[in-house]
Amino acid sequence: MEARIPSIACIGVIGRHNNPLHISLFPAIGPNSTQEPRDKLAFTFMLNSSLDIFEARMPSKTSQDFGLLHALDERIALYGWLTNTGVKLVIVVDMEGRIAPTPEAAKIGVLGLRGGDLLPAFNALQTAYVRLLQNPFYVPDDHDPKLVRGHRALEIQSPKFIREVERTGQAWYPGIVTI
Amino acid sequence: MSRALQSEPIPPPDPLIATSCFDFLLIELVPLAQRITDKIHARDKVLKEELDRSLNIHRSVPPPSSTTEPPMKPDGSTTGAPSTAAGLDDETREALYFRLNNMGYRVGQGLAERFSTNRPRPVTPLETIKFICKDLWPLLFRKQIDNLKTNHRGIFVLTDVRFQPLSRVSVDRRAGPRAAEELVRRAQVYLVFPAGAIRGALSALGIEATVQGETTEIPTATFQIKTKGAKA
Repeated sequence: MEARIPSIACIGVIGRHNNPLHISLFPAIGPNSTQEPRDKLAFTFMLNSSLDIFEARMPSKTSQDFGLLHALDERIALYGWLTNTGVKLVIVVDMEGRIAPTPEAAKIGVLGLRGGDLLPAFNALQTAYVRLLQNPFYVPDDHDPKLVRGHRALEIQSPKFIREVERTGQAWYPGIVTI
Repeated sequence: MSRALQSEPIPPPDPLIATSCFDFLLIELVPLAQRITDKIHARDKVLKEELDRSLNIHRSVPPPSSTTEPPMKPDGSTTGAPSTAAGLDDETREALYFRLNNMGYRVGQGLAERFSTNRPRPVTPLETIKFICKDLWPLLFRKQIDNLKTNHRGIFVLTDVRFQPLSRVSVDRRAGPRAAEELVRRAQVYLVFPAGAIRGALSALGIEATVQGETTEIPTATFQIKTKGAKA
C-alpha cells in the first residue's frame, strides 16, 4: 500500500443566486497512474449540500475564507470561499487523491490539512474570476438566472477561465505557496 | 504575438497605466456614444422608410419605376455632424443616456469584483455605499466622496464638490448667466457614465438601485442612489 496525499477532486464556482457557474472534476490517480474518474452527479450534490453551510455562516463571517465547510467521510472534505460579490468558490479535497511522490510528502497526508493550505488555490481561482470579469465579452448579467429570460446555459464558457481552473486543480498540493 | 502571450499564462498582476487615461476616455466616451446613437437612429429611419415603401408597393399595383429604385438612401442627409448634447430631442437623449449608463454599469461590475477582494464583506447597504465612497471613488476620480447623506430608508446622496470630469469645463463669462445655465445643462451628460458605474458596483455587491447624477453648479456633482424598495 503506497502512501497517498490529498489532492483536489472538484472545483465548483457558484453564482450569487446559487446557480452553478462552473464545475471542474479531477480524477484520482491510482497505482500505475491509472485514473479513477469522478461521478459528476455525486459531486454536484456535494456542492449543493454545502450551500446551506454558506448561508448559515454568512451573518457571523466577515472574511471571505469560509474554511472547512464539512468533511463528508474520511476521504472527502469541502472547503469554501465567498467573494464580496456573492460568488461562492468550493473546493472538494480528496484526502487520498494521489500517490505521494516522496516519503516527506507522505507525512503531510498523515498529518492532515492545515487551515491555510487551500489559500493559494482560492486566491488563484478568485484571480481567474476577476480576470474573467475584466473580459469585455463576458457579460455577468447573462449568467444570472434572475435576469436571463427563457432557458439558456448559464455556465461560464470562457476557455481561458476554464483552463485556469483546471490548472489550479491540478497544480495544488498541500503546502504549495503560490499557484 | 499571440503565441508569445500564450506561452506565458500569467501576465504581470497589475499593469500600470496613467491616471489621465480614464479622464481622456471619459471625455471621448460621450461624443462617441452620441455618434453611435445617431448612426443607429439614422439606420432605423432608413430601414423604416424602406419597410413603408415596400408595404406600399405590395399594397398597390407596383409601378415599374419604383421597384427599380435603389433601396438605400444616401445617408449624408441623415447622419450629419453629431449635434451637441444640449440640442437633442428627448428620444435621442434617452437613448444616449441609456447607452452611457449601461457602459458604466459593466465597468462598475468589473471594478467591484476586482477591488473588493481582500476586504471585509460589507454587511449593511451603508457599508457598501461607504465602499463606493472610500475605495471606488479614489480609484476612478482620485479623491473620496466629500459628503454622504442618507435617510436610513434606502436613499443615499453622494456629493463631490470638485468632481474630476467637471473640474476642467469652462464657460464664456461674457455671455452672462444664460451661458452658465447652458453649461450646467451640457455637463449633465458627463455624469451618466459615473452614475452607471455606481449602479454596476452596487449591483455586483448585491444592491439593486437606480442612480441619478446631477449638477447644479460646476464642478459640484451629486449622485442620488435610490435602492430597490426605498421609502422617500
